[in-house]
Amino acid sequence: MEAEKIIDSLNAKFPDTISDSQIESEKRISAYAEAGSIVEICRYLKDELQFDHLSSETAVDLILKDEIEVVYHLSSFGQPLVLKLKARLPRNNPEIESITSVYWDANWYEREAYELFGVQYRNHPNLRNLVLPDELLGDWPLRKDYEDFPQKTAKNLV
Amino acid sequence: MAEELTSQSYEQPAPKEQAQEESIPGVITTTSREINEFLKKTKIQDILNWGRKNSLWFMSQPMGCCGVELIVAGVAPMDTDRFGIIPRNSPRQADVMIISGYVTRKYFPALKRLWDQMPSPKWVFCVGDCSISGGPFYESYSTVQNIDEIFPIDVFVPGCPPRPEAIIQGFVEIQKKIETKKDRGSGYEG
Repeated sequence: MEAEKIIDSLNAKFPDTISDSQIESEKRISAYAEAGSIVEICRYLKDELQFDHLSSETAVDLILKDEIEVVYHLSSFGQPLVLKLKARLPRNNPEIESITSVYWDANWYEREAYELFGVQYRNHPNLRNLVLPDELLGDWPLRKDYEDFPQKTAKNLV
Repeated sequence: MAEELTSQSYEQPAPKEQAQEESIPGVITTTSREINEFLKKTKIQDILNWGRKNSLWFMSQPMGCCGVELIVAGVAPMDTDRFGIIPRNSPRQADVMIISGYVTRKYFPALKRLWDQMPSPKWVFCVGDCSISGGPFYESYSTVQNIDEIFPIDVFVPGCPPRPEAIIQGFVEIQKKIETKKDRGSGYEG
């Protein structure tokens, strides 16, 4: 399926919740999704538009805009296309529905985004820290306003 | 009746009984380190040091990419066996711990536990820039900085990663320190 056809199909199916959809190159498409309907959009992309693989899922802290973006990279085994889907969340309460019911491999991606950015995933089967030690949980170390870096200067630093 | 039994079974032995020496017929036992401290002042310590420096068994717990160089240092082309330097998998059989990578806040308790499991005398040395100063991660949120304030480190081997020859030279430096009684592992100060 062509990139333009996919964008037209998405815009026709979700006229209110998909915005800023554009073709970045002939292999990459990007779109913004409304946070409330991310599961329906992902299910439609998987079932109808052959995006059957979640390549990655992560988060970006945009402190100047006061929001956290959740980024999904969806790719396909049948067509040479990558879809970059983003959802904007408020920074003081980043909460979004988990997409593990659609893509099961989102489980550990969402746990990592939870421990580093504090994104709360609703209906996640096991939302706890993935690799971060327990005493650091709750500090959200990859947010831009994290300040508990080690303050001692490394005296052996060359 | 039942209460008495449970209270007796959970009762801890009195501290006086614990401090009493265990009596083995024909064997004099002691709980002090006096013999050890006395031997350090005599010529016997030189013989002990000669034996110890020629059998520096290191614990193989690679923590980063410098661990690959440790493997190279142990195999046939470098052949550390000729110095008596053999990798051991168990900390209870090892004499040397090699901190060969960046120490995170999650790994530090495990490293401390491995160090406590090693029997004395024991030596530790740093291999690579990450363990010496933190390397590229020195300001990260999960770094344990200045590892030399925590472990009594004798030798630093810089490099990113150091070559196997440099690691062997680190062992040779430890051997020289043990021979001249300047190492921190034997506890000459205390």
